[in-house]
Amino acid sequence: MIDKIFTPEIKAKADALVARYETKRASILMILRLVQDYHGYVSPEAEAAVAEYLELPQIDVHEVVTFYTLFHTKPRAKTEFHVCRTLACSLLGAGKIVKHLEKKLGVKEGEVTADGEFCFDQVECLGACEIAPMLQITEGEYVGDLTPAKIDSLMEDIKSGKMDPYKKKQKVSV
Amino acid sequence: MPKLTIDGIEVEVPAGTRIIEAAKKAGLDVPYYCYHPGLSVAGNCRMCLVEIEKMPKLQIACHMTAADGMVVKTQTEQVLKTRKHVLEFLLVNHPVDCPVCDQAGECWLQDYYMKHGLYTSRLQEDKVKKPKAVPLGPTVMLDAERCILCSRCIRFCDEVSKTSELGFINRGNHTEIAVAPGKELNNPYSGNTVDICPVGALTDRDFRFKIRVWYLKEADSVCNGCSRGCSIQAHYNLDRPHHAKGERIMRLKPRFNEKVNKWWMCDEGRYGYKYHDHNRIAQPVKRTEKKVSEVSWDSMLQEVARKILSSGQKTGIILSPQLSNEELYLARRLFCEELKLDKVFLLAPNPDGFQDDILIRADKNPNSKGAEFLGFGYNTEALEKFLDQCAQGGVEGLVVFGQNLSERLDGPKVQKALSKLAWTAFIGSNHNLMSESACYILPAATHFEKEGTFTNFEGIVQKFNKVLEPLDGARAEWEILASLAKALGIAMKAGSPEEIFLEMAGRLDPFRNQTYESSESEGSDIRSMAAPTIPSLQQYDNIL
Amino acid sequence: MKKLISRYFVPGKTFWVEEYQKDGGYEAARKVFETMTREAVIDEVKKSNLRGLGGAGFPCGMKWSFVPQTTGKPVYLAVNADEGEPGTFKDKYILHHAPHLLLEGILIAAFANNVHKAYVYIRGEYSAAAEILEKAVEEAREKGFLGKKVFGKDFDLEVVVHRGAGAYICGEETGLLESLEGKRAYPRLKPPFPAVVGLFGCPTVINNVETLSYLSFIINRGAEWYAGLGSPKNGGMRLLCVSGHVKNPGVYELPLGIPLRKVIYEHAGGMRGEYPLKAVVPGGLSASVLKADEIDVGMDFDQLRAIGSMAGSGGVMVLDESTCMVEALMVTMRFYAHESCGQCSPCREGTGWVDRILTRVVSGRGKQGDVDNLLDICSFMGGTTICALADGAAMPLRSYPTKFRQEFEDYIAKKRSNPELLSELFHGAETKRGGQKELTV
Repeated sequence: MIDKIFTPEIKAKADALVARYETKRASILMILRLVQDYHGYVSPEAEAAVAEYLELPQIDVHEVVTFYTLFHTKPRAKTEFHVCRTLACSLLGAGKIVKHLEKKLGVKEGEVTADGEFCFDQVECLGACEIAPMLQITEGEYVGDLTPAKIDSLMEDIKSGKMDPYKKKQKVSV
Repeated sequence: MPKLTIDGIEVEVPAGTRIIEAAKKAGLDVPYYCYHPGLSVAGNCRMCLVEIEKMPKLQIACHMTAADGMVVKTQTEQVLKTRKHVLEFLLVNHPVDCPVCDQAGECWLQDYYMKHGLYTSRLQEDKVKKPKAVPLGPTVMLDAERCILCSRCIRFCDEVSKTSELGFINRGNHTEIAVAPGKELNNPYSGNTVDICPVGALTDRDFRFKIRVWYLKEADSVCNGCSRGCSIQAHYNLDRPHHAKGERIMRLKPRFNEKVNKWWMCDEGRYGYKYHDHNRIAQPVKRTEKKVSEVSWDSMLQEVARKILSSGQKTGIILSPQLSNEELYLARRLFCEELKLDKVFLLAPNPDGFQDDILIRADKNPNSKGAEFLGFGYNTEALEKFLDQCAQGGVEGLVVFGQNLSERLDGPKVQKALSKLAWTAFIGSNHNLMSESACYILPAATHFEKEGTFTNFEGIVQKFNKVLEPLDGARAEWEILASLAKALGIAMKAGSPEEIFLEMAGRLDPFRNQTYESSESEGSDIRSMAAPTIPSLQQYDNIL
Repeated sequence: MKKLISRYFVPGKTFWVEEYQKDGGYEAARKVFETMTREAVIDEVKKSNLRGLGGAGFPCGMKWSFVPQTTGKPVYLAVNADEGEPGTFKDKYILHHAPHLLLEGILIAAFANNVHKAYVYIRGEYSAAAEILEKAVEEAREKGFLGKKVFGKDFDLEVVVHRGAGAYICGEETGLLESLEGKRAYPRLKPPFPAVVGLFGCPTVINNVETLSYLSFIINRGAEWYAGLGSPKNGGMRLLCVSGHVKNPGVYELPLGIPLRKVIYEHAGGMRGEYPLKAVVPGGLSASVLKADEIDVGMDFDQLRAIGSMAGSGGVMVLDESTCMVEALMVTMRFYAHESCGQCSPCREGTGWVDRILTRVVSGRGKQGDVDNLLDICSFMGGTTICALADGAAMPLRSYPTKFRQEFEDYIAKKRSNPELLSELFHGAETKRGGQKELTV
């Protein structure tokens, strides 16, 4: 079971991460992130594997996975739009952006499009109020000063391959 | 030792004492949920906030340690207002399940609302929905909506049973108690989580919907499940026999005992009371080849006495470490000292059970140590030899106390031995193979139906009380032995267990210097929270 | 205006080690390691009046002086790069443009507190920042600024870049420690304080990214100079993050004590549209809101506290007259309800309850008495909890209905509602009575 989740490649990276910390438990956020990056989400099997790997009770892993927003227990879409909904973004029109995404993608918040390509949800402050309203693409780029038109062209760029949604590089407009 | 003042009362406590304990010592009641003296401090319920002079914010009494010269106030207006609001916060998402919740009547939310709340609810929103009636394991049922997230159960599983099955999932007011996916709450002490849960979030599956707690009566006792002898309390119901098919004992709870079991008891002991109201032997029964008939106690005792006298030295006695000190002493007096029989043995049913370093002992008998003090030890070899003797016809009659010989000794060998006997007598409370084949069956009381003392494996002598009257025609073994002695023409001072104990204490060293009362296991109700402060919620009889 | 940290904020550029050193980078650390004592460094920082710029504003030098060096346990440094306070985005800039500035600050703080292992806790969403910092750490190690025998001295220093996973409460210092130890970020009971019992039970210094980034300037140019840049007891400059209805939102490095009016109108370009200024949230979401006539206050910790607000994280959110304060409060309290860790009852239940009340109000079903209820609930969220998240929630909760009472009463009386905001909340679904859509994790 643990070998299915911790392939040799993942295990090598995991071992290196664990070595940086004073306790195995302390590395859990990094290990879960690693597992999620490779497998797409954290399944119950993954939780059990991480628990075995870090020598923790399984409930301790489950506690952590359900506490932090960035861990997903279900598969998501290839490209995720996380739209900020806190004060500055809300005042500057996040609502319009959310409505537009709903119309454009044809799904509600949290749902994945039929082709598995896109989903969107609302998140709390991403630390980019100066480019409000803004969204984060999966766990990568921040895109700000959004308008419905900008959303449309962003999706065009992603679909056409001009912008790589997997590229985790984050540019910040400063 | 620091001396501090709480509500004007000066109290001195050992260094490191938390204010909440100092307040108890001063006789004051600071309400709390998450605090438990047997667990680490969590400090999350905020119910115990009190005012401490020179500190700007209210402080939780369960965490702050007493300092010399500290001045604490637990009844100021701000403290009382804060308590009310904390209670209101806890009740904001709490489902009003009282009519269907087992905890009603012993629920700290109810109790504290009556004492510290009494506000009109101003909630107009929906409450958060969470899973209800989730079996966490074989013994515990979870209602996640009722949970106030005090974390007592989590801390228990981490620190006491050391099995770490429980944890918090999600965040904010969507937080719940849960087990890991695919796992369950299943450890030898799981029932304790129900005791310590202040509300109806964790309830006992065994007790579920059995009876309302205000119909229960309580009596202190000692568990007879193993040689630890945990202090317990039996909760019973006599007035409403339509509950639980007429069972009298409804549940067992542990009592706090500093020396023996602290606040806990194991599941096996906790749920091992069913034998008490099921499969009991009702009346004295005589069995011959031709028929089985109920007889009166007098005629039964007379006949058994005659048989013992006639068989003389060819009588065997097999005693049980389930018997009390008093009963074993009487047996020794009668069979060893007076009748001078040489075939008196102690049979231990299965002393090699599971044992851990928490409470559970491998010896599943409450009084092996008492038997040892009284001169009876386990000697399987001697017992085997005795069985051989029986098989060879060297024994005429056998009196067995309570046990099924085939459980510990070789089944066929036992059968062969028994078949060669002229008569057998079985003195016990529940039917088993032995009672099914004996000639004379004398119904005995369970230990809940009699008074006496057990000696636990550490030599601590503990008194257990008579919780109930013996069922039907059953009698306590000490009574049976005393009557048998009379029928045998032997006078013994055995008017009450106390009398027997005092004679024993006067003669035998391990029991010397013990009074019957001092051997009473000290123990207080572990549910010593709100209950003592609310006289109106004390039990009262069935008013219907 | 002087540019200390902000001179590195060149769009699209990261000052890697070569370029950073060219400009005098790592000279302050060298000076500290080669010529100063621990006590002298702490003293200098005390004299500089450097305050904690993550939000608490606690004097940095004084915090360092609480760390016991005689416990026999190692001392840790945890760098708070969680930057979760809404309205705040300055640390992102430092991490992107000047990671070595932070590392130099870490070096100085490590020397002063005898720290040999430092963790930088970066919020999980800052992927690029974490990558940049990892690379900078490698560069620094190659140059001998990190690792074994720093500056050739008998002093090792390891820096671990640790990534969070999405929880505002990880910005709370003990929540950060719990998260770093691999658990749910439940803040700890204090005392004991982290300086004495922190990471893995050892004494721990926790400092914000920006606070540490000013250290090299203090060492290079002197504490007195630094203190003089600011206002009494509030030394130096800070990176104010201006956002909202201003023409030029962004990061502005300004002296402590500068009047808020100047920040908005002289630096951030003033109001962006035709609506005049209505209100300002001066120190991150948790700061009490200021009315338009209160913006002459000096932006430092003491002056803002004196008028009932706080300097906090320096997140200045400017609201013009197009803003509905009721809806703004609803968005604000929704944040706290989502981010409450759930450990203690007043915060967990209070934030959730207030969120639902305001959702109901914003749905057009407010009732008379709602405002008084909100204010009463607020009184018992603050001052009763394990950490300050509830206090942070209580401040906007109190200040909005107090300062804009009439607007709240009108909104409720007229049963106003905002379809756009509602659609954002309910996505066109039937609005449930009172309650809000369940949050999915």
